[in-house]
Amino acid sequence: MHLEKTAGFVHPVDAWDRCVPLQISIGSVPLSLFIREEALLGPAVRRYREFAYTSEDGFPIVLKKSETRTGTNVEFSYLLDDAKIVLGSQGAEFQGVRHEYALDSLLRILLTMVLLPQRGFLLHGATVVRDGRAYIFFGRSGAGKSTVASLSPKGSVLTDEISLIRYSNGCWQAHGTPFWGEFRAAGQNRLVPVAGLYLLKQASEERVEILSIKQSLRALLPCVLFFTSEKRAHETLLRTLLKLIKEIPCHRLHFRRNAEFWKVIAA
Amino acid sequence: MSGQIIRNPKLAWREVDGEMVIISPEDSQVHELNETASLFWKHAEGKTMDELVERISAEYEVARETARADLEELLAALGEKQLMFVAPEEKG
Repeated sequence: MHLEKTAGFVHPVDAWDRCVPLQISIGSVPLSLFIREEALLGPAVRRYREFAYTSEDGFPIVLKKSETRTGTNVEFSYLLDDAKIVLGSQGAEFQGVRHEYALDSLLRILLTMVLLPQRGFLLHGATVVRDGRAYIFFGRSGAGKSTVASLSPKGSVLTDEISLIRYSNGCWQAHGTPFWGEFRAAGQNRLVPVAGLYLLKQASEERVEILSIKQSLRALLPCVLFFTSEKRAHETLLRTLLKLIKEIPCHRLHFRRNAEFWKVIAA
Repeated sequence: MSGQIIRNPKLAWREVDGEMVIISPEDSQVHELNETASLFWKHAEGKTMDELVERISAEYEVARETARADLEELLAALGEKQLMFVAPEEKG
């Protein structure tokens, strides 16, 4: 799927939908959110304030109250509870979004699709910056992402829940995201070169174990946010992950719930 | 068994260190093949079982019956996971 940042939408936009868009950028993906509902716009402005972006070429996303007619150029759609994302090459519709949490979830789904052809993806992981480089601690729910974030200095955490990794300017970069878990925060819209990937495993000692390419792939795949069942999208994801783990070391981090783990990472 | 052996066309796959990692996009299931199954995955596509038996028995100097039994067992295992199967013959 190749998404272009051109004017136009999945469907022709009704005059009613035209309003001043909320312009944001997540993972260097500019987005224009057309939200007419005040009850939703206010929370969205607050939620994404650190990701505000001044640009007129954002990928257009129109929020509709309910399902509308289906366009002919729909490339992907996904139903999440009562809300639905309908994505085309030139824009997206979010239908039935009733609160900011649904908006947040649909944005994550959208980004998985938009980032894919740009060698980017979202990962269940906490990103912590240390000495100007990003350390990504990933794992499924309960693995210890929030614990790692809570043990890290204030301001060093780019996210405690969903990491955004993308290849740009010749290297792998971790981007700050507005997607947080336990430690809800506005986030920081910055990007930092990735130093390493760490699969979290709670243990009785601190130890780092380097993973082979295959082990790394096996560790990462279940933690990648991915919503499409399209074969080509999965092939692209596999290609991206293999490039990443050939260039960035991936480890299993055995750790107790304290900050001692940095000693074995730095070693 | 004279039909062509084919990979499930719905699957995404990559070779990692000589072994296949296969994803089933419909259920996000990940399959990893060992070295032998990976070789089968690479070389059996589009061949008939008879052709494979012929090739394996000549290349590895094993009896045809032995080669056939091993290959059929491998195909059955891959078929059980819906990774590879014998294509249904077209009705003419």
